[in-house]
Amino acid sequence: MAKIKESLMRAVFFAAALASVLAVALICLFLFAQGLPSMARIGLIDFLTGQRWAPRASEPSFGILPMILGSVYVTAGAIAIGVPIGVLTAVFMARMCPKWLYKVLKPAISLMAGIPSVIYGFFGMMVLVPAIFDLFGKRFDIMSGDTMLAASILLGIMILPTVISIAETNIRAVPQEVYEGAIALGASHERAVFKVVLPAARSGVMAAVVLGVGRAIGETMAVRMVAGNQAVLRMPNEYLKGVRTLTTNIIMEMGYVEHGSLHFGALIATGVVLFVFVLMINMLFSALNQGRKERGPKRSRPVKGGATG
Amino acid sequence: MKKLLLILSLSLTLALSLVACGGDDAPDNTTSGASPSGTTADASPDGTTAGNATDATESATETTDDAATDPADGSPISDFDTDRVIAVNTREEGSGTRDAFISITGVGDDMYAEAVVDESTSGILTKVQSNDYAIGYVSIGSLNDSVKALTIDGVVPSHENVFNGTYGIQRPLLVCVNAEKAQVELVSDFIAFMLSAEGQEIVSTSWTKVDEDAPEYETKSLSGSLKVGGSTSVEPLMQRLRQAYLVHNPNVTIEISGGGSGTGINEATSGVIDIGMSSRALRDNEKEALTPTDIALDGVAVIVNPNNPIEGLTIAQVKLIFTGEITKWSGLE
Repeated sequence: MAKIKESLMRAVFFAAALASVLAVALICLFLFAQGLPSMARIGLIDFLTGQRWAPRASEPSFGILPMILGSVYVTAGAIAIGVPIGVLTAVFMARMCPKWLYKVLKPAISLMAGIPSVIYGFFGMMVLVPAIFDLFGKRFDIMSGDTMLAASILLGIMILPTVISIAETNIRAVPQEVYEGAIALGASHERAVFKVVLPAARSGVMAAVVLGVGRAIGETMAVRMVAGNQAVLRMPNEYLKGVRTLTTNIIMEMGYVEHGSLHFGALIATGVVLFVFVLMINMLFSALNQGRKERGPKRSRPVKGGATG
Repeated sequence: MKKLLLILSLSLTLALSLVACGGDDAPDNTTSGASPSGTTADASPDGTTAGNATDATESATETTDDAATDPADGSPISDFDTDRVIAVNTREEGSGTRDAFISITGVGDDMYAEAVVDESTSGILTKVQSNDYAIGYVSIGSLNDSVKALTIDGVVPSHENVFNGTYGIQRPLLVCVNAEKAQVELVSDFIAFMLSAEGQEIVSTSWTKVDEDAPEYETKSLSGSLKVGGSTSVEPLMQRLRQAYLVHNPNVTIEISGGGSGTGINEATSGVIDIGMSSRALRDNEKEALTPTDIALDGVAVIVNPNNPIEGLTIAQVKLIFTGEITKWSGLE
């Protein structure tokens, strides 16, 4: 009797484990089955390196290079803004923060992670965009505040909770002896933290950055509301002009597209490209994890999370 | 107790930051230029976003009034710097409003690549309202006081002018049925209801009537079910028409689906749905299989920020702006 129960429960757990794997497999299957044929019809090279996106013109053209670069720029900007702030906050919270302040900071950051992205988008639209327009509008003759810069700042804020919580966990995971050793050798508290503890948590901090990238590249709603969404090829120095990212390209046009048309296929194929990006980020993330496990046997706590996209 | 205090202080900080942001917003809108005192009231965006389908004629005349009184106050239309870049706002590829706009104005495939793209009417309204130098276009039914609708070739965008055809940028909203479905009593009765006085009254809430003296609808108390699908621009109108129709014919069920004008026309042709909705006129080859009936007209208004002194444009100028040939407001003179 017990044996039957045992094997029954085993099957239940196995099915539960299988469900998530199945979901991922089905998503892959759907994406590639729908996206790859359209990619082939457009031509892989034309699709990935084409500079003109005009799906409904009389001579349609499906080039997503502007969107690929748009995603890259906006993500890079978000990292440039969000990572320094996030890592410093994490160091502060893990090693320098008074207890009472920690009790305020921690829930505030959790709350930040829980704010829906459309709220961030609304904040960006009503505050960031007009502010950027007022600051730079006249000086640089820009058209509006809907710019790469606005999207980068907004995403920089949005990745903060991810970066902070993972970096903090990893800084805390550095054994106390490492810190005490530095102090014993005569280092000040700050010196011990920045020169010894933080470097010891390096790969965990890197993992936090990678997850931040994953969050930034997959963000859709907030970016859509502040980025301007022009499908135009930009150079990195044109950060005061609008961009369209891979995600916004899909969501902007999905509403009206005729199902089964090449335009529809091209949007799914855009999703494939995005999926490959996120896949690469996740692989990088596990590589970082792997590397740390091999190097540091003394660390026991694993890095939490995984890139969402 | 401690926890409670903590939560309180946290929410206080949040509330404060919200207030701070709100406060930031108002000056932001007026600081461009020499910060006049007179225009503040006009520019203030507070409470104007709701966009209740106000009568377009009303809002159009109202905005003109505002502009006319401004110079009398001695205030500061001159603050508008015509050397600034025109902030062009457009809808996304595939939007019915965009399709109508680009085909009537002749912009076609040459939409200015630098134009900011937004995927909703409310998005366009917000962008135009928050940027003094912006221009955009929305359906006349969605106009509100936060933006100024321009006259086109001297004609005010109003339901009257759309109805009598003097306002040029307009499109029909229509339903179409194939020959077989046209014989079905329920189908023809529903279409008759759309064209009746009551149906046209519903149309006039946000759109323009096609018939001013429509006949009264008399219910035949039919039963059965209908499938209606197609244009997402017509869908909200169809939802309201259905609601009213079901009051007269409680035994009827009507399913409404979106998918766009193209889908609606295809599926109505093949008979998958009973009635197709389209926000563009049928092409000649489509007319072979389908009978179209215009149920409403929809004008597309060109809008600018209320601080913009400009009152009207010609269609040619609209085209030059939206193709990017004119990039500064001073280029219009």
